[in-house]
Amino acid sequence: MKKTTLALLLILSCLLFMGLKLRLDRISRERVPGSSFIYMPSGKYLKYASFGYSNLLADLIYIWAIQYFGDTRIVNRFDHMDHIFTIISELDPRFLDAYELGAIIAVYDARHMELAYRILDKGLEKNPDQWIFPLQAGHYAQMLMKDFDRARAFYKKAMSIPGAPAIVQRLYANAAFKTADYRTAWQNWLEIHQSTRDERVKRIASNHLYQVKAAIDAKTLSEAMQKFEDRFGRKPETLRRLVETGILSDLPRDLDGRDYVYDPQTGEVKAPSSPWNR
Amino acid sequence: MASALEIADLHKSFKTGFIPKKKQILKGISLTVNRGEIFGYLGPNGAGKTTTIKCVLGLIFPDRGDIRVLEKPHLSLPAKEQIGFLPENPYFHDYLNANEFLQYYSRLFKRRDGAGDQKIQDLIKLVGLEKSAHVRLRKFSRGMLQRIGLAQALINEPRLVILDEPLGGLDPLGRKEIRDVIVRLRDEGKTVFLSSHILQDIEMICDRVAIIVDGRIVNQGELRSLISEKLLFTEILLSGIDEKALAGMGESVGTQAGRILLKVSDEEKIGRVIKLVEAQKGKIHSLVPRTETLEDYFVGKVKG
Amino acid sequence: MKIPAIAQMTFKEAIRDRVLYLLLFFALISLAFSRLLALLTVGDRIRIIKDVGLGSLSLFGALMAILMGTSLVYKEIDKKTIFTLLSKPIHRYQFLLGKYFGLILTLFIMLAAMSLIFLVILFFHTFTIEWKLLVAILFIFFELCLITAVAILFSTFSTPILSSLFSLCFYLIGHLSWGLEAPINKMKPGIGKTLTRALYTFLPDLENFNFKTEVVNNLPLPSQVYLPAVLYGFFYTLFVLALATLIFRRRDFI
Repeated sequence: MKKTTLALLLILSCLLFMGLKLRLDRISRERVPGSSFIYMPSGKYLKYASFGYSNLLADLIYIWAIQYFGDTRIVNRFDHMDHIFTIISELDPRFLDAYELGAIIAVYDARHMELAYRILDKGLEKNPDQWIFPLQAGHYAQMLMKDFDRARAFYKKAMSIPGAPAIVQRLYANAAFKTADYRTAWQNWLEIHQSTRDERVKRIASNHLYQVKAAIDAKTLSEAMQKFEDRFGRKPETLRRLVETGILSDLPRDLDGRDYVYDPQTGEVKAPSSPWNR
Repeated sequence: MASALEIADLHKSFKTGFIPKKKQILKGISLTVNRGEIFGYLGPNGAGKTTTIKCVLGLIFPDRGDIRVLEKPHLSLPAKEQIGFLPENPYFHDYLNANEFLQYYSRLFKRRDGAGDQKIQDLIKLVGLEKSAHVRLRKFSRGMLQRIGLAQALINEPRLVILDEPLGGLDPLGRKEIRDVIVRLRDEGKTVFLSSHILQDIEMICDRVAIIVDGRIVNQGELRSLISEKLLFTEILLSGIDEKALAGMGESVGTQAGRILLKVSDEEKIGRVIKLVEAQKGKIHSLVPRTETLEDYFVGKVKG
Repeated sequence: MKIPAIAQMTFKEAIRDRVLYLLLFFALISLAFSRLLALLTVGDRIRIIKDVGLGSLSLFGALMAILMGTSLVYKEIDKKTIFTLLSKPIHRYQFLLGKYFGLILTLFIMLAAMSLIFLVILFFHTFTIEWKLLVAILFIFFELCLITAVAILFSTFSTPILSSLFSLCFYLIGHLSWGLEAPINKMKPGIGKTLTRALYTFLPDLENFNFKTEVVNNLPLPSQVYLPAVLYGFFYTLFVLALATLIFRRRDFI
């Protein structure tokens, strides 16, 4: 075969197939995203099927999951998220990233807080040394849901794990305060105040203690004032009157030893200073 | 006289090695093979015999030079229709048997759908493989492969037959048979071009030879004209004579079972040895004049 | 008659190759596995059998094409059977074409065998035979024709291992090249974009032969794709074989 005919054939066929490709590109074909999901097996079989490469399989499923949950075209893609992350945790219980990421996706994309808590709980269950999981859970509960009850429970769990950073106790104390458990709040802040060597932390603890005391005192005072009102039908002129009338044995003072400020017109009791600017 | 094969100034080099270094294999080969003769192509290993042959067949493309087969360009299909080729150490498709194999190859030629069955049977008989016609080539011995290779070279009744080491791997009987086939081919008017190491066979059947050393033709021509008829020495095998008496006549090459092999260089001394043996009532077993053989010539040319 | 002669011999040799049967065995295992997989997963059983089945046919078919194509030419050169063959009055392209046709005949038989078993397994589940499946399998065969040509191309100048690797790369690129489309569309117009688009058009797009998605998801087959896809395969194969001939014709056989 002559070289020229061959070269001609080469160029011609190349141009033709490229032209056909352009034509084919224009014909749209359906893509069904998420169709690969049907291959997600139930957890217990998968470990056997992985032939000892369960960690690798966990990694692969994890990577796949990231793409899958990130693909907005897939309808109802969060339906099986629980299932998938359960699988990952069964294959490789110590795969820490997966728990964290699962929670993030649950919180921010799926907006499913319970799922996030579940994932993080499972992470803690399989990895009892990872204080980060309950810490994160508490963080989500507090920051996003303002659910201080849940947050408190999580912080408590985190606190008991050796190696947990000091801030966890502070968060716990704060959450206790927010849930009106002043006793616990007081105890913890006191502990913090006494045990820390960090000047800044000491000050923070002191401020919180002030706040807690102020809240406790405010409660005491308002209960007393109510009693006064019940007895005398009006608000007391000064706070002293509460002691004089025997309702209170003595007048609570703020943490710095100062008196509370009382406005007889409104019946409001305020702390003489703000907890943060003493 | 028309030529069967003409090679003019053939050059071929290869680039070998990891850092390609050019190695010149053929450094200007020129030779002519006449029609109807048996032409021998000799040379030491690595001289370029097989390379030359592959250039002729279009398996390798030369850098420079001209090749004409039966006065046609060597790569043209009409030229190839007239060539039969047997490579060195042939190997063929294992799973075919001899018949099927020859059928297959015959279909690659221009003629009608393959040579007739009779033709194939004749060829198989010619190379002495009748008993193995239905045996798979996988089971063939080296010698048998050589023979079937020769058969496939002849399948198209070629005018020029090129054989690369055709007698390798054959026992003495086989060699004789193939030599006879080659001579028969010449008698049928075909031209045979063969390369070989086995100089005795070349000596026996070739009309003309060319000797290639290190990529160059050092000599070519009629066999007779290359080797002088000069007598080198005479070997006499005798017994019954005391060795000491032979001193000065010639060189005693060896003694075995009472017989002495004497190498006499001087022609006159031969007569004296004969007289001595007669006188002492000894016996001459053989007297062989040794002229220069092709081997002597060849070794001489190769060595320098 | 020379090309058919070589094709016939190639077929006889290829059909004896044990590698083919090994791959066939694994393909059957894979098909059987699809049944097992169906038990283990949450998806629809039939879908999985179809999906894994067609995927196995495509994958193992490609492996057969690659392994056979790369070894066949190399074997001839290595065993020196090519010397006597090429010294005969045939053009080198006739040799290549003969090998090619012999190979695709072999692949056709192998694919038919695998498909038969696949369809039988499916029949026992659905008690119907879908024409869609046959069309999908036909296009898998066209894909294999192209892959075989590529395998032969590489084997004209490279060892079997490298050739297999390159051919495998061709297969992978062929199935992944569609991914380039989105990034190209996002590029700023200019010479870079044009060049990349030209490259994208040149790269093989084996997805044109892949109707798995439509078959498995019970979508209608895109019939307007049929003719262009077949022609695409044909001209790409022609291109590859022409390239192979170009390389092969001046090759020295030492």
